[in-house]
Amino acid sequence: MNVMFLLAEESGGLFDLDATLPLMAIQFVILAVILNAVFYQPLGKAIDDRNDYVRSSLAESKERLAQAEKVAEQYARELAETRRRAQAIVAEAQAEAQEIAAQELAEAQREAQAQREQAQAELDQQKQQAFQELEKQVDGLSTQVLDKLLSV
Amino acid sequence: MLNVIPTSFPTLLAELEVGQHLYWEVAGLKIHGQVFLTSWFVIAVLVLVSFIATRKVERVPSGFQNLMEYALEFIRDLAKNQIGEKEYRPWVPFVGTLFLFIFVSNWSGALVPWKLIHLPSGELAAPTNDINTTVALALLTSLAYFYAGFSKRGLGYFSRYIEPTPILLPINILEDFTKPLSLSFRLFGNILADELVVAVLVLLVPLFVPLPVMILGLFTSAIQALIFATLAAAYIGEAMEGHGAEEHE
Repeated sequence: MNVMFLLAEESGGLFDLDATLPLMAIQFVILAVILNAVFYQPLGKAIDDRNDYVRSSLAESKERLAQAEKVAEQYARELAETRRRAQAIVAEAQAEAQEIAAQELAEAQREAQAQREQAQAELDQQKQQAFQELEKQVDGLSTQVLDKLLSV
Repeated sequence: MLNVIPTSFPTLLAELEVGQHLYWEVAGLKIHGQVFLTSWFVIAVLVLVSFIATRKVERVPSGFQNLMEYALEFIRDLAKNQIGEKEYRPWVPFVGTLFLFIFVSNWSGALVPWKLIHLPSGELAAPTNDINTTVALALLTSLAYFYAGFSKRGLGYFSRYIEPTPILLPINILEDFTKPLSLSFRLFGNILADELVVAVLVLLVPLFVPLPVMILGLFTSAIQALIFATLAAAYIGEAMEGHGAEEHE
């Protein structure tokens, strides 16, 4: 090796290859093994675990979001349904109330009519009775008048 | 003393030492002590920071955990881009350690005032400043991509040497030698050159003038770490994929 370079003596020089080389190689391999145990494995595991954690939480939150959207949609659907039902109930109740009101109105009219007719009939009857009585009295008076006249 | 600079400036450049090493003898073999000292520092920094970062792992990261998670994500992206979504995971530790080790080495060489610590011979600098380190990393990369190719495709791995045509066989074989060579020399050359330029400028003009070069050095150091790790990942990915393996470099 030493002939290669002007700088070299019989011992030493820039290109002095000796037992340093294999020892350095062994030392390097040992360093790689040690670093594998104290650095690459634990930190690599930490990074992978974190990636897994982020991935799984992301998936979970996506799932939750989908679920929440589903629930919101269902809620909106139910709300619309309930509104429609409420409107139907209101309409029904209004119709019913109208019907009842009409019915009662008609009944009241009928009743009033009936009362009026009854009153009319009573009135007629009383009038007739009064006429009859009057006629009776007229008859009585006229017979009395007649008697008086005849007896005179 | 060995100087890169011509000997007409012996007094001025007496401090600039290149190609000098602090030799240790281990089982009769010579090793470069200063490289190991700084590499242990780099390793200690990496292990310590990793340890602090993962002492209490939380889902919402903060402080060091955040910083190191950023680094890990960066490395993962790098490996994923080069190797592919399906296969990159087992290679993250290798590619990541390449990047982190080279990056921290380069920056420690540029930022830590090693020169204040005096050694009997040589001087402390970035571990990647030594050809042994870069060749070791490059050869490990070669081993890694051979292993990746064989484990993925078995003996079918050899078919890539005659793709797209058997005429390219010599070039494809040559590539297996040029890859580690270019990887190691690119890193070594860049870091050494950067440290030399800074050292020379500091010797010539001690104040302010070297600062832009130092900042440029920090930039190139980071880029070199990125290039080494990216190319290593690209070679591994290329060895594993089936056809059209000549896309990268």
